[in-house]
Amino acid sequence: MIENFLAGTATLFGDPFTIGIFVFGVLGGMLFGAIPGVSMLTLAAILLPFTADLSPAQGVMLFAVIYCTGTYGGAITAILFNIPGAPENAPTAFDGYPMTQKGMAGKAVGAAVLCSAIGGVASALVMMSATEPLAQWAIMNIGPPEIFALVFFGLAVASSVGGRTIWKGWLSVLLGLLIATIGQDPVGGINRFNFGYSDLAAGIAFVPAILGFFAVSEIFIQAEKNVSGKYLAPKFNVDFPSFFELWAHKIAVVRSILVGFFCGILPGIGATLAAFMGYGEAVRWSKNKAEFGTGKLEGVISSETANNAATGAAMIPLLALGLPGGALTAMMVAVFQMHDLEPGPLVFYNSPELIWIVFAAMFYANLSILFVGLIETKTILYLLKIPFQFLAPMILMLASIGAYISRGLVLDVIVMFIAGIIGFLLRRSGYSIPGIVLGLILGKIGEQNFAQGMQMVHYDLGTYFSRPICTILIVAGVLTLLKSLHSAFFQKPKVT
Amino acid sequence: MKLNFKKQFSTLALVTGFAVSASMSMAGECRVAEASMDKPGGFPDRALTMIVPYGPGGGSGQVAAAMAEAVTGLTGVSINRDHKPGGSGTVGMTAYMAAPADGYNVLEHIDDASSAHALDSSRPNPAEDLIPLVVSQVTFSQIYIRSNETRYTDWPSFVEWVQAQNGKATIANVSKEGSMERVIMKFITEASDMQIQQISFDKGAPRYGALLGGQVDALFEQPGDVRKFLDAGNFKPILTVFNERPGVFSDVPTHREMGMDFEPLLRFRGFYVHKGAPSERVDWLKWAFQRAYCEDSYQAFNDSKFMNVIDSYRDTAGAIDMINAAIVQYRDVYKEMGLDVK
Repeated sequence: MIENFLAGTATLFGDPFTIGIFVFGVLGGMLFGAIPGVSMLTLAAILLPFTADLSPAQGVMLFAVIYCTGTYGGAITAILFNIPGAPENAPTAFDGYPMTQKGMAGKAVGAAVLCSAIGGVASALVMMSATEPLAQWAIMNIGPPEIFALVFFGLAVASSVGGRTIWKGWLSVLLGLLIATIGQDPVGGINRFNFGYSDLAAGIAFVPAILGFFAVSEIFIQAEKNVSGKYLAPKFNVDFPSFFELWAHKIAVVRSILVGFFCGILPGIGATLAAFMGYGEAVRWSKNKAEFGTGKLEGVISSETANNAATGAAMIPLLALGLPGGALTAMMVAVFQMHDLEPGPLVFYNSPELIWIVFAAMFYANLSILFVGLIETKTILYLLKIPFQFLAPMILMLASIGAYISRGLVLDVIVMFIAGIIGFLLRRSGYSIPGIVLGLILGKIGEQNFAQGMQMVHYDLGTYFSRPICTILIVAGVLTLLKSLHSAFFQKPKVT
Repeated sequence: MKLNFKKQFSTLALVTGFAVSASMSMAGECRVAEASMDKPGGFPDRALTMIVPYGPGGGSGQVAAAMAEAVTGLTGVSINRDHKPGGSGTVGMTAYMAAPADGYNVLEHIDDASSAHALDSSRPNPAEDLIPLVVSQVTFSQIYIRSNETRYTDWPSFVEWVQAQNGKATIANVSKEGSMERVIMKFITEASDMQIQQISFDKGAPRYGALLGGQVDALFEQPGDVRKFLDAGNFKPILTVFNERPGVFSDVPTHREMGMDFEPLLRFRGFYVHKGAPSERVDWLKWAFQRAYCEDSYQAFNDSKFMNVIDSYRDTAGAIDMINAAIVQYRDVYKEMGLDVK
């Protein structure tokens, strides 16, 4: 493995043009990942035709690098302005933005940079060492029933995040689950709650909903404070977390690497579920669950470690089996095909040099996050010095563009503002925005896999318990629910 | 209630037969003589926009990219692809119908547009509300098993095994209400007297992974989408849903050979323009898209997707015949299935 890795490194850095492509991928992924709506997918779609003029290794390597750095890029705007660049950065905003409000933006961004790099590098190392056996294990043992059980396990802890009481946390999650049912059902394709409006047949898209619930509702809240004279600008601070602060969260980092890797390896799941599950597990294992959503460093660490840990893992089913884990890896299939190649078992035998250039590039791209990210952070934090009356319209404009551009639908801009108003009202009443978003995103994934799983077990729910992984996750989820109910009956409401 | 296939399709045989098997020997052949055409009144003097109702990584996204590249290579006119996924193509179709009918906006769509109109006539009819520029991919479906499967190795042994499972056997497909997959599976299960649980996966990767990992017993798919698994020896076709054996699958029996007497529904992808677009612009677009089909880059793409195994080309008239036949066929079947045909 070491020999192959060194050979891949030598090829990657032995040619100035290839180095140029690598650097372009690193910077382009970070930039497009940071702008809401204009995600790394946008950049990949723009670049796709041009990869025909590159060598196969350069083309696939470019997309792999964009995948790594683009997944990190959205964390910065999530932390500084409550605008997640992509759904996989949404959990980062749960605690990252409250940290900014407390004058701890530097610590949050520093942790995001470092943990994205750690998660990505760890994932790349595992990817390099065991791609084929891991891919085989995943497809043999994980099917729709297991994915549903995983989502159920993740949702069970969601009520703990951000609500004034556990009951309000649960109502928030249930609202998210309800919103997730809008649009065609995932199995029969039957329209639900679209009121005859065809654009709603596709459901509520994640990007405008997240922008509305996070960014727009925040603008309304800050505007209200501004009008009433209670507005306090975020304290400007560029202090990065110390080594000891990060070392104190080593278990959270390892746990998020494992969770992120596990989610990333599942075909069709990817980094979004990884980030939410990583965050959820941090909450589950914490002794101070109530602190999550209020500006806890561990929340940022868990989310950003997990989503980047999913990047290397998502390459495993793609390269070993030809099964893309998400939209960007699906585009990588097109890059392979433009060069008369097919990802899958044969590519390891037919084009080993290509595989190892990609592996090496992903390793170094994740390292680049650390260095480029730290330099970028020192400058981008100065954006916090912009007065609110100038910053708010800029954020609203950016969010509106982001909501519109992902599908080119005015509906998505309307959805964003409706979500902003609902979010504004619910936050004033102590309901949980993270809970709603968790319900929305996990609900869509969970419903689809539940329906497929039920078909698979012939509508006999008991058969779920004949599958060991499924049983463990469902039992653990039920125990978490019971613990949550116990707390709901006996806890005192938080004073806020 | 079993369908009366012979009655159902006897009146359609002529039209559908034309659509299905025009000539297998003509696959990939260029049928547009004119290598160039003057731009009418300077049209187009800017880039075209192609609305694609599916994501960029799937079959539609890929054929849209290949056709856009071929048209640009042929004419020098750029094409911006605007992906509007969701609602089984509904979102993209709605967006396209709302776009200006000036010839600068074209649409990529698949046979789902025809089946959607068959089920609900308020949805646009691709043969009447739009003008087909070209259908550039026509393909058939097959049923696949794992190559190392030991419980069954061919179609007869598969049917026997499924029958013995009393409805517990599973097959992965895209079995949404009224979809081509669900209709064909209904034909097959009734004709073979077997019950099989269809598991609907809307994305390819989990669908193929389900068969690779043994989560399901078989897979319903088109050969171009699983070519890499066929080339790698992972999957093995055991039934071809087509009237005759395509050359590259000469060892795989057709449904008719296995005693199933129904007219196969095909998957087709094509390009359209608004009915109300200026006629001289439509003529130029027809030429550009039909001639682009002949470009080496597009032919190489179709070859890589098993799309030249049968005749993948339909000009405007051929596409209208094919769509009309499909709509009639789907509508009759939906009524037989008890669906609410509007």
